Amino acid sequence: MVALLTAVTVITASVINVTNYVSAAPADSAETVDTAGGADAAATDNANTTDDKKEEGKEEDTQQVGEDGQVVMDGAVGKVDKSKWITIKNYELMAESDTYKLYFYEPRFSIMLENKQTGKIIESTLSDEKDDGDSNAGWNGRMKSGLDISVIKGIQNTLQADVNSTENTMETTKIDNGFSTKIYFTPYQFGFTVNVTIEGSDLVVTIPDNSIIEEQEGTYISSISVFPFLGYSALDDEEGYMLIPDGNGALINLDNKEGRYVTGFSQMIYGSDPGFVESDTKTYLWEELDMLQDASQVIAPVFGMAHTKDQKGYFAIVEKGEKRASIEAQPNGAMVNYNRCYAKFLIRDLFIQPLNNSNTGTMPRAEEDRTHSDLQVRYMLLSGDDVNYSAMATKYREYLLKNNLLTKKDSSYNTRVDFLGTERENFLLGTRAVTMTTTDDIKDIFGELKNNGVESLLSVYKGWQDGGLYDLPMSKYDADSHIGGNSDLEKLIKDSESSGYKMYLYNDALRLNPSTNTFNFNTIKKINKRAFEEKVWADVYKRFNYLTPESSVEDFTSFVESMNKKELNKVAVAGISDTLFSYSYKSSYFTRNDTADAYTKVLADLDEKADMVLESPNAYLWKSADAFLDMPLGSSDYMYVDEEIPFLSMVLKGTMPMYSNYINFEANKQEFFLQMVEAGVYPSFYLTAENSSKLISTNSADLYSTEYTTYKEAVIDYDKQLRELNAKLGDANIIKHEIKDEGIKVITYSNGVKVYVNYTNSQQIVDGVTVEAMSYSYKAGEAE
Amino acid sequence: MALLLVAMSIIASGMNSVTASAETPYLTYTVDGYGRMEETQTGYLAQDTIIKFGKEFLNGANDMCVTDDGKIYIADTGNARILVGTTDGKLVTTFGTGILKRPMGVFVTEEKHVFVADQNAGAVFEFDESGKVLNTYSKPDSPLYGEGIEFKPLKVIVNKAGMMFIVCESNTNGIVEISPAEGGTFLGYFGTNYASVSLQQIIYRAILTDEQRAKMVSNIPSTPDNLAIDSKGLIYTVTRGDEANTVKKLNIAGANMLRAENYGVYDEAPAAVAVGNHDNIYVASREGYIYEYNDQGEPLYVFGAKDDGTQRVGLSSSLTSIQVGADDSIYVLDSDKNQIQVYRPSEFTQKLHTALNLYAQGKYTESREPLSEVLKMNSMFDYANKAMGRAYYQESNYDEAIRYARLSNDKSGYSDAYWEIRNEWLKANIVKALLFIVGLWILYMVLRTLDRKKKIFDGVRKGKAKIKENRFISNFMYSGYFMRHPIDGSYGIAREGRASWSAPSVILVIFMIEYVINKYLCGFLQKTVREGRYDIGSDIGIIVVVIIALTACNYLICTINEGEGTIKKIYTYFCYSLLPYVVLTPINFVLSHVLTNNEQFLVTLVNVIIYAWVLILAILAIKEVNNYTAKETAKIIFLTIFTILIVALLIFIIYVLWAQVFDFISAVFGEVVYRLGY
Repeated sequence: MVALLTAVTVITASVINVTNYVSAAPADSAETVDTAGGADAAATDNANTTDDKKEEGKEEDTQQVGEDGQVVMDGAVGKVDKSKWITIKNYELMAESDTYKLYFYEPRFSIMLENKQTGKIIESTLSDEKDDGDSNAGWNGRMKSGLDISVIKGIQNTLQADVNSTENTMETTKIDNGFSTKIYFTPYQFGFTVNVTIEGSDLVVTIPDNSIIEEQEGTYISSISVFPFLGYSALDDEEGYMLIPDGNGALINLDNKEGRYVTGFSQMIYGSDPGFVESDTKTYLWEELDMLQDASQVIAPVFGMAHTKDQKGYFAIVEKGEKRASIEAQPNGAMVNYNRCYAKFLIRDLFIQPLNNSNTGTMPRAEEDRTHSDLQVRYMLLSGDDVNYSAMATKYREYLLKNNLLTKKDSSYNTRVDFLGTERENFLLGTRAVTMTTTDDIKDIFGELKNNGVESLLSVYKGWQDGGLYDLPMSKYDADSHIGGNSDLEKLIKDSESSGYKMYLYNDALRLNPSTNTFNFNTIKKINKRAFEEKVWADVYKRFNYLTPESSVEDFTSFVESMNKKELNKVAVAGISDTLFSYSYKSSYFTRNDTADAYTKVLADLDEKADMVLESPNAYLWKSADAFLDMPLGSSDYMYVDEEIPFLSMVLKGTMPMYSNYINFEANKQEFFLQMVEAGVYPSFYLTAENSSKLISTNSADLYSTEYTTYKEAVIDYDKQLRELNAKLGDANIIKHEIKDEGIKVITYSNGVKVYVNYTNSQQIVDGVTVEAMSYSYKAGEAE
Repeated sequence: MALLLVAMSIIASGMNSVTASAETPYLTYTVDGYGRMEETQTGYLAQDTIIKFGKEFLNGANDMCVTDDGKIYIADTGNARILVGTTDGKLVTTFGTGILKRPMGVFVTEEKHVFVADQNAGAVFEFDESGKVLNTYSKPDSPLYGEGIEFKPLKVIVNKAGMMFIVCESNTNGIVEISPAEGGTFLGYFGTNYASVSLQQIIYRAILTDEQRAKMVSNIPSTPDNLAIDSKGLIYTVTRGDEANTVKKLNIAGANMLRAENYGVYDEAPAAVAVGNHDNIYVASREGYIYEYNDQGEPLYVFGAKDDGTQRVGLSSSLTSIQVGADDSIYVLDSDKNQIQVYRPSEFTQKLHTALNLYAQGKYTESREPLSEVLKMNSMFDYANKAMGRAYYQESNYDEAIRYARLSNDKSGYSDAYWEIRNEWLKANIVKALLFIVGLWILYMVLRTLDRKKKIFDGVRKGKAKIKENRFISNFMYSGYFMRHPIDGSYGIAREGRASWSAPSVILVIFMIEYVINKYLCGFLQKTVREGRYDIGSDIGIIVVVIIALTACNYLICTINEGEGTIKKIYTYFCYSLLPYVVLTPINFVLSHVLTNNEQFLVTLVNVIIYAWVLILAILAIKEVNNYTAKETAKIIFLTIFTILIVALLIFIIYVLWAQVFDFISAVFGEVVYRLGY
């Protein structure tokens, strides 16, 4: 009895201790995390970068911005004496292809790539020559190391390891076209093998999954960045830019940022992980309104570096392990004076384990197992006229097609007109239907559009299913009686098909509405075993769960099969198309790789049975998508981004049709229209037969402007203009995208057509073509 | 720690992403007629960010003033100077170095005189355009200023007559008003805020000792945080903690002219206020939010957000000043990011401003065109719905006026339009209506005469009598007698076996039904809940709980006080007491559908009658059934209420304790699970 009591006391005490730890953590951060450098460093930490952490006990990263925009850290080590410089002479030639020579310097795990034709060299670590001496010893070691590793020790993930500052052993052997190095970090007792090969003008860096060893309980690899300084440049030494996959695409120029940005781009590929999200960490206005718009998701696992004047650079594709990796692009001023971009593989992370239901006691914990996957980045080295983003887009498209990650689809022009069928609002003890667009309404609208010259249409019908838009999940073809029921819908789809109007039924195969499906428990839990809930600021349904991939697959398959029975096969897939998560279910853990594999497989399996268009699909699903819905046209407006470019559109144009976000909700419609012209993206509308004010008490209260009569003219007008333009473009690819002056864009297609877009408020003449203010023009191609 | 921060910056994607446009990193909301925030089109787009003027950077700047000629005057606090630049980022000049110590506020008059409020210098400096000091106004020596009060100017504005209005640090008397005459004459305090006293504070003051009272936070009125002036000389202030009165528009007498409902759309940490070109009011929150109100103080937009570390254009860290340019662009100064962010109005906002202008000038019909454009783009923009309704009203299109008024919950607009519609209906139908009534009366007379002579209704009467013999029916009918004769009726309940379970329960059920119908389906003007929103489960739940609590507690108290009521009797009289509500509410229901605001007193009157009657019945029943004297009755009522409160408290305590225990168990369980490494 006494023993029991003691045990309870001990446990309670430890609960309290744990609580203390968490609450004390922010205050202690000065000692454990290097955030004490004042507001700047704190902001760095806020910004989700975990890479600015280093070994304990080192001085803090306080820094100052000098006259020339140079950032100087406290405790800077100063320049390296010229006599001690490590240069290419110290490097060993490991392999060569017909275009490049691969050199290696083991002590720094550093490579150099020499272009055989031009003799130009791409470095992978900061050279002693270019070292400005403005960084402290910790950063200096990191910058001169080809490997940058963050370490989890116990419940800390603030440690840093690199080959210069951390004791290690290396063992290098030559392999075909390159070399293989087995590296082991003695203090942490972990290690792995890195294979570096040169294939033609592609540099391929691989860390095989089975080579990763972690031999000390409680000490783990948290993340690995390989060659984080590959192709770096100091301040504004080089002209050029870094390409980041933000939104449709964005460039960070290699100019002097004058220390303005304490962090750069750092985003998980395919979005952040809901399995790790703590929902109570957001800030709300009046504790209820979320004022922040999420940043765009990284849709494709790519990045690039172009030194345009020096004509060298690379375009990188994260080939393996990308489902749990982030793209990092740091401009100068973010801790150090160098521009660099790289992929960071996340191997294992900490999460917050609540110990009770009120979340008053929590403790951080490391994941039980690491993510298992090979890690591989392919750097396509660029030289000559290929050092620009147009060439990068072309190379990426060719790569996708060659590796069967993308197949050519019918990309002929359609205007996209989506409809909302029924929604629900609270009524008495339950809910009642709010019917916005019935099948008869759609029939009338289609008739009217047809008469007005809209030849072809792609239409996604949302909220068609029994129970309305948010009665999720759906596992069979079951139309709501308010819109006309199964047979009317079937008839509508088949009739409109014959007149060139393709109707897709919308299916969010990810979400489960616990209010309409009380007894479905196939939902995911977060890594900390707490149920994952997506909270929604709405009247009727306030929370949604995510189905386990297994359950999504099952429901979705039976849904498609049940459609097939009616000889229907057009589905618009949402939810599973753009979401990836780690989760726990029935005491097992699953990674983002598992989730992605399940989704990829089901869509591939059903490819024969269904025509599927996907809502902003992640890159690994492109091969299954007949169309790309909701293609972003802008970027997330990061301050350090200098130029937005339609990179993804340049990759996909002519291969897969792309449709924009809904025009209804755009505040500046003309600008949005021009962006569509620039990117070769087709327009989308979200319409209802009824006035949208009927939706005010439903979950769709944020659809504030959808009435068909309001948008009829716009649909017809957009269709006319863009159909005419796209008839000229055919299924040609974009081969060149240029930014002439401020606000003038010129897009060249492979069939020679040139499109001119003028975003300025005055008439412009480009290449002898007159382009009106806020308008576009095009010129048919000359013979190639 | 790092994980926490990582988690913080990772954002769960919402279902609302359907309207996502990656163009702005913040969302824009408007408020509807029920005070609910609704998402809307982007009102302002973050475009340019001014980081430096020429080669000059800002350092913790606290205030700026944008003039019509496109110049920006900045109180560059950290560099102790005034920086003058252009809106496109060119440097014009800097001055004040060496004179200024901590410039916190700056204001530029039409004559281009620059007034600077310097906190540490304890003075307001007046410079000319070239930066020469013209005047220095330090602490007023007038005894009215208050001797012990320091003079630490934070913000200053100057009206056309040259009067300075100065917000001073820790001066709770209000805005210091100084005239330039004789090198600065103190005129008095302007726009004093009043300290509010809450009920809690009143109770505390009554029961606390002097010593305890002295320890309480003193209840001093809040000082305005910032101020602005418009072309008419009206002064706008923002005061944190003043809740609905956070924004004030003060006339020359210092009275607040903002009367309109703002639905609680105010900021808790306002940093600055500015007046736009349409008399619209902008408020910047220190937290990065920006509010726009119309000239009446009705909220139009809230947008912007605090930077979550992602460094996106348009997110802020610490706002200190807001200004509006001639083209409706908003300039916002961020002292943390050391930059000025420019927001340009979207197409949508430009249309809204046009409509706003026309509407404010009373050109209702002209305003309909831009309003309908606005509504096309956002049919849920209630401000536009309301204005549209008013415009239709002016055009005598009352059906449309009513539709829009209903949409935007504009009760007075609805009432006005409804009055007209009813008037028209009455004009058209009064004769028919009268004839109908006369017809009914004639029919009644005929039937009565026939009945007297031929007894045609004998069968009905017999049936009625027969039904009355049924015990339930008879008990049910007895409630009517109880209502009219409470004392006799109570006697019946107490002694004549009129107490039952079934009949009162039926009345209770009817009561519930009527309550629910009246709450959700009454006339629009009487409605207290949003159209289309129902919460019937909790309505009924509350009624049931109240009846159970009343009956049980009253019974407990009566049994120990020699009352004669059994639980059945007590239940019976409480339910029977509800009868006036049951009988009269249908009248109210009908009235609520036909009356306008002018005749609302009728509904109120009926309500008063209902509540008074119910109360009287209950009190008399308690007294008579239990056979109490008046004094005893008062005691019993008091005790019953007290008991109910105690029971509620007990339940609450048990609930809290139980939650604690549950929490503890689950913590232990969680810990065990964790230790076992499950």
